Amino acid sequence: MTKFVRLIDMDRCMGCQACVAACYQENHYTPGSPWNEMIEYEIGTYPHVGKVFGTMGCMHCEDAPCQTVCDAIDVHAISKNEYGVVLVDYDKCIGCGYCDTVCPYNVPQLNKEVTSLYGEDKLSPLETIPQEQRHPTHHKKNNVMEKCTFCWHKLEQAINSNQIDKIGVDPQFTPSCDLVCPVEARFFGDLDDPDSEVSRQIGTKKATQLKKEYGTKPQVYYKLSGGDF
Amino acid sequence: VKTGASAANESVIRYVKSTCAHCVNFCGINIKLENNIIRSIYPDEARAEFYNHGICPKGVSGSFNTYNPYRIKTPLKRTNPKKGLDQDPGWVEISWDEAFDTITKKLQRIREDDPRKFVWQHGHGKYLIGDKFPKAFTAAFGTPNLVHRTTSCEAARHVADEITWGYHGFLPDINECNYLLNFGANYFEGEQFARWLDHTVTDAKERGMKVVVVEPRLSNSAAKANEWIPVRPGKDILLLLGMARILIQENWIDREFLTQYTNAPNLVDTNGEFLRDKDGQALVWDQVTQQAVAFSSGRIKPELAGRFTHNQKEYSTAFQVFADSLNTLNDKDIAEEAGVPAATIRRLTEELAKQAQIGATVVRNGQTLRYRPVAIHTFRGLAAKQYGVQNWRAGLIVQMLLGSIDAVGGLNLHSVHKKPGYMEPAEAEYPPTRVDLQESIFFPHATHNVAQQVAKTILEPKKYGLPYTPEMQIFYATNRPFSTTDSKEQFKSLEKTYNVVIDIVMSETAEMADIVLPDLTYLESWHLSPTRYTPATKHTAIRQPVTNVFNLPHDGFSIIWELASRLGLRDQYIEQINKKWGLKKNPLKTGRDYSAKEVVENLWLEKTKGKEFSYAVEHGFSGKHLSENDTYLKGVEAKFKGAGKPKMQFYAESMLGTLFNIKETVKQHDIKNIDLDDYQVSLSPLPLRVHSMPVPHRNKDKYPFYIITYKRMNRTQSGNTAMNPLLNALGPEADENFVLINEQTAIELKLKEKDKVQIETRVGSVEGRVKLTQCIRPDTLAVSYHYGQQSLGMPDYARKGIWINSILESHSDLVSGMDSFNDSVCRLKKV
Repeated sequence: MTKFVRLIDMDRCMGCQACVAACYQENHYTPGSPWNEMIEYEIGTYPHVGKVFGTMGCMHCEDAPCQTVCDAIDVHAISKNEYGVVLVDYDKCIGCGYCDTVCPYNVPQLNKEVTSLYGEDKLSPLETIPQEQRHPTHHKKNNVMEKCTFCWHKLEQAINSNQIDKIGVDPQFTPSCDLVCPVEARFFGDLDDPDSEVSRQIGTKKATQLKKEYGTKPQVYYKLSGGDF
Repeated sequence: VKTGASAANESVIRYVKSTCAHCVNFCGINIKLENNIIRSIYPDEARAEFYNHGICPKGVSGSFNTYNPYRIKTPLKRTNPKKGLDQDPGWVEISWDEAFDTITKKLQRIREDDPRKFVWQHGHGKYLIGDKFPKAFTAAFGTPNLVHRTTSCEAARHVADEITWGYHGFLPDINECNYLLNFGANYFEGEQFARWLDHTVTDAKERGMKVVVVEPRLSNSAAKANEWIPVRPGKDILLLLGMARILIQENWIDREFLTQYTNAPNLVDTNGEFLRDKDGQALVWDQVTQQAVAFSSGRIKPELAGRFTHNQKEYSTAFQVFADSLNTLNDKDIAEEAGVPAATIRRLTEELAKQAQIGATVVRNGQTLRYRPVAIHTFRGLAAKQYGVQNWRAGLIVQMLLGSIDAVGGLNLHSVHKKPGYMEPAEAEYPPTRVDLQESIFFPHATHNVAQQVAKTILEPKKYGLPYTPEMQIFYATNRPFSTTDSKEQFKSLEKTYNVVIDIVMSETAEMADIVLPDLTYLESWHLSPTRYTPATKHTAIRQPVTNVFNLPHDGFSIIWELASRLGLRDQYIEQINKKWGLKKNPLKTGRDYSAKEVVENLWLEKTKGKEFSYAVEHGFSGKHLSENDTYLKGVEAKFKGAGKPKMQFYAESMLGTLFNIKETVKQHDIKNIDLDDYQVSLSPLPLRVHSMPVPHRNKDKYPFYIITYKRMNRTQSGNTAMNPLLNALGPEADENFVLINEQTAIELKLKEKDKVQIETRVGSVEGRVKLTQCIRPDTLAVSYHYGQQSLGMPDYARKGIWINSILESHSDLVSGMDSFNDSVCRLKKV
């Protein structure tokens, strides 16, 4: 089996937000619906004070409450594929927001209105790429729920070309946020492969999942760095 | 779920290796194009071995600077003769031909009259095409006035280096270092070598290197450090002097290094000058013969400390003079003034000394090398001050005491003693040659131009004895007046000159132009890119275009070429290019024009000693690993160690020579507006307590707060990132800056989060919103320096925040010309 997971090492993360910008760039960000966000907060009181940095995106839970609720209302816009990736079908999504309500991590982002990046209807060439030429995960629509896809458009290409072993290794088949990190605070790969870098890192760094008490079994692991998160 | 594979398959994907030019890190990038649209920018994995592992958000989102619809797309001519940031310039679009024709006529007239009246200014332009082209153009034209921006960055640090060891630039040897003491170098957000320091420091920390960051605001670098020392602004030099005092008192010093590599043993008379023999050789006190002799042979054993009598006169060693000066300080005063407990200063000193392992050696690749795995680092932290040179001199002296300079794990110096003249007294010319007064009596050791001075001289040329009055300026990729202290004054100078601005967006400087020329971005143009070395690597890289969004016919390179041609200077320009770039095997030929790509090919061939240009196009760079010999034995070991060699200036006697030259010139020319007392303080051969008291600190009574500036990751200072929608969306506060204030202070002032306040200095006032934090000293406010754009050529969303530079007091370092970004004091009130 193949189970794609991510590790975020908050000890190494320096809060630069390159991963956030990379997600925006890679996934046709439109204002108001970020798929990856930097959480930054202070701990302690001057002068004994520190800052913690970490990013939050979709946890791609094994038991995803967003999918459960979407199925429960018979919309079935959210699915989890055989590689462990949770995806939203924009054509089926009705924008009801239940998935956001039940997500313990506040991940789903309702894109109420797709607006241009520069405002005043000034479009960059990237924004003018027609929908039909974009990957379905980049078909931005009004009133549709969006979230991190683990850069499914990249993983899918590796799967379709029998290069699944290059996911997390080769830049063209690796989620862009994990690719651009200047300090190797992010790893992506197959948890079911004991020799993968991400497996090794999760084990040796004693990484954990967030809010385990919800029983969602997230597929994003964190090496925590002081305080909670 | 639809896979979309079919759609993706229809696209033509290609990758291009290039170099990012958003900032001065010059990271290797791999640009992904889909149907010729920039789809993504990734780090170039092959460059990781030599420099950057990842790239920053500016680099990631670089396409949005290039695709920015607010870019300048055509030459513009001003129709409103009145200039000012409150004026509508009345732009009209003109053809390139008209633009070149107008500029050429203006330049031609100036050249016939007095070519010095033309001033070329660049900032980031230096890195877009390389400063050798503008230098060649101005040389061919005949003006000495080419001005870069280093006094807005770290010029004082460079000049301190130059005075001390004959060139500038260094890096902590992080891969071998065990203790890094960092004075405000914010390598996780800004900084010149950030994309190498970020991963090396993180790795080293994981293997046990301790990182201590000394700065008034907890930056991301401090947040990730083992310890933060929130020093009072401007007082870091006191901390260093306090540490030096303890090191000497406890005898935690490297006597061998001090006597063999530095001039610390030189005998100093009561005037502060070295005792010299008839040949001008400085003398030391020989332990063996008990005589004052030149350190000319290995038999001589110089005394490091002590007072000696020679020809009935009293002398102390330079080391003793320093030790005596430190004895006028005491732990309590230092602690109170620096705002750091005395016990903390002592503990840090002890840690530093212990970790330095003074006397240790290590074998690397068969070579026995000095091993001192401690380093002190800084960038703007110690440099961006009125006494920036003295501040970093203190940092260098502490490292000389520890013997960590150029040792394995210590501070690795770059091109040691490349220019021995830097260690000599400065000539201090008068009248000044250059409009920025570089190396004149006003800034005698300023070897990196004086960016903020051009405007001041233009406003009052007679005050500085400039024998001509500048009439025309070309600004290439710089928002110069916006990026200096007391910036509103700077803008007034642009009313006095005819201005041409070459840029990609309508910066504030462009708003003051007579003609604006659009430039190509770094993703649209060719260049032999600057690169960053590391202690163990160096590489040569190119930049190559992947698009030309607005089909612009020119960039900085071709604009200069066209101007040179129209002025009839093309062949002189070509000769100067060959000279400035040092093109020996691959010179450009006179009598013909060159495209940027053709020139880049010549430069590549020259720099890589003939490596095929197709390799550059495919791989983007060519790298090299250095040997232990290159890294550790070609610096101070080769240049300064032992008898008969020049010595590092522990004691900068040359600055006294400079002071002497200044006094003579003042007398000779009867100059009235030079305060020799100020120069005496600035040109002290040793750093002193007085250097922790810049002018604003001496008049602080009515201004309860210190105000400092800092850099955030998601902006450059020039304004060209202010419209980048991805950068502006990196969190809810990315498109605006705030006044950082300690929460307890805010409570006392009855301020709540996001309250509107006014900051007032003696220069002016600005309004902004407060952000409450525990991460700053209670007596200090901090505002990042790259927001508050004023230009009418930018949309409202790009103009948010505080233009803090506009209210900072300007007290340039008299030694280096460094601008004083971190010395101001202020009042704060709720609006």
